[in-house]
Amino acid sequence: MERPRRAAGVREQRRSHVGRLVRSNFSAWVLLLPSILLFIIVMWRPILVGIVGSFCQMDGYTAVGFAGLDNYKAVLSDTTFLTALKNTFSYVFWSLVIGYLPPVIFAVMLNELVHWKSFFKFSIYFPTMVPAVAASLIWYFLFQPGEGGILNMFLGLFGLPSSQWLQNPNLTIPLIVFTMAWRGFGSSTIMYLASLQGVNGELYEAATVDGAGMFSKIRHVTLPQISGVMLLLFVKQIIGVFQVMVEPMTMTDGGPNNASISLNLQSYNYAFNYFQVDKSLALSVVTFLILIVLTVVYFKLNKRVSEN
Amino acid sequence: MKRFSEKRGTLISVVDLKQKKYRAVYWSFFAVMVLLVLICLVPVLWLILSSFKDMNEFLQVPPTFIPKSFHPEKIWEAWQSMHFGKYYLNTIILAGGSWLMSIVINGLAGYVLSRLKPKGSTMVFTLILWTMMMPTSVSMVPLFMTFIDFPIFHFSLLNTYLPMWLIAGANAFNVLLFKSFFDSIPISYIEAAKLDGCSNLGIFTRIVVPMSKPVIAVVSIFSINAAWDDFLWPYLVLKDTSLHTVMVQIFTMKTTGYPADLHIIAIMFAIIPPCIIFMIFQKHIMEGFSLSGIKG
Repeated sequence: MERPRRAAGVREQRRSHVGRLVRSNFSAWVLLLPSILLFIIVMWRPILVGIVGSFCQMDGYTAVGFAGLDNYKAVLSDTTFLTALKNTFSYVFWSLVIGYLPPVIFAVMLNELVHWKSFFKFSIYFPTMVPAVAASLIWYFLFQPGEGGILNMFLGLFGLPSSQWLQNPNLTIPLIVFTMAWRGFGSSTIMYLASLQGVNGELYEAATVDGAGMFSKIRHVTLPQISGVMLLLFVKQIIGVFQVMVEPMTMTDGGPNNASISLNLQSYNYAFNYFQVDKSLALSVVTFLILIVLTVVYFKLNKRVSEN
Repeated sequence: MKRFSEKRGTLISVVDLKQKKYRAVYWSFFAVMVLLVLICLVPVLWLILSSFKDMNEFLQVPPTFIPKSFHPEKIWEAWQSMHFGKYYLNTIILAGGSWLMSIVINGLAGYVLSRLKPKGSTMVFTLILWTMMMPTSVSMVPLFMTFIDFPIFHFSLLNTYLPMWLIAGANAFNVLLFKSFFDSIPISYIEAAKLDGCSNLGIFTRIVVPMSKPVIAVVSIFSINAAWDDFLWPYLVLKDTSLHTVMVQIFTMKTTGYPADLHIIAIMFAIIPPCIIFMIFQKHIMEGFSLSGIKG
């Protein structure tokens, strides 16, 4: 009598175990469901709708027919496209010059200091807390051309001629990038600083014993430590700046004479100012494709670098 | 004043600093940092100082940096004449909803993906992670179309804060932050609760949440701050001026021809709350940022 009862007990236990597994899987999925729905609604579905819509003819915001490649032809043959494309690469170029390397240098410097260190950290991070629109507007006011501009007053103090600032088509992109860098470099610096603080101090001592100078220490001890973060931020920066839109929108609205228009801003103009939604979709798909290519190239390069 | 002897082993060691050459390098680094701090703080300082100038001095050529006229009462008048309290309240409503979504929805997602791991959830996690790399440019217009005619139910979300709340609920970054935090909670706590017959939701609310105060604090600060900064979606969705958030308001002031001195004061109003948040939670923010950066 003993054995069957035990066997039944085991069977029952196993069944209830399976039951519990199914039940816990089910309840887990229920808890995950809101997130899945939101990601579909907000992230995945719009990308698909956008790609499909770029091949359609749109009336307002509804598709009224198939357009094939017409939208793409219209967008690519628009003279603004080449300007916007060239500008967007120019934004990326300047952001690498103004925004990418300085945080590395500042972090290395800051890591050396013992005096006022937390004050420096606080102040450098501070602009990051200024909202993007507010920062753009502050610099828009500072970059006021003519005699009334505060920066021109400072130039005057040094006996320098006034500048047109954002109104100068050659300066407008670097200045917008500068504004973005002003807001963004603090967080990168703090990130580099965090990884520099993880460097074992004995490495530097060993390098000193080996007779290494400052630059060879930077080259052989400091840089290897932060190269991972550097690569990560490199891609993030390119992908981020390639999609620049709000800053030129706030500071110059793409001007003067389209000198600061970016691909995304042009796409925004198509959608919300010119009411050519289909063209907007086609242009953003083009931007999307360029970005995907850049990302894939990056990963390929990265792989080759780490393999060698 | 701190001493050099407090220095940890870095590029320039304590021994190096006995040499004049290295001391010069050290103090030149210091000088660069002072210059940098000026670049960081002076624009904001200029903004605050300019808010106190009267209209004449504001338009004066050449402009002044340190105001000669000082009118603190002007700020209160501007607050009232622009009805800025309304925009603050709107932004607080927006931020409150976004905050709730970030904590509840992203937190639950992080928990399920970290601890419960139902079959197939790794694929969901990969799909969520991909959204962090995905350029958002393609989704702008389709998302706007979604909000003017919501799929299946066919109602418009224009002139509500729902679009921003929905977007806040789909934040891959926060999900990742929650997940990596929950990964670090010892499994034994959860197993003990399971043996006591606690349900999944029960384990989450009674065991995981009380242990997760640090990550909840970081996500809260980030999501509230992000909601305060948010511009594009509120601008596209909130057509009704009485619903405007602070950012939308200071942007539209540029085109609607407000007097520049009032505009400057409005920008100051816009940056005060994040600055206060930063002063209070400085450590949380900087640590949370570098933590998330390394993990992400």
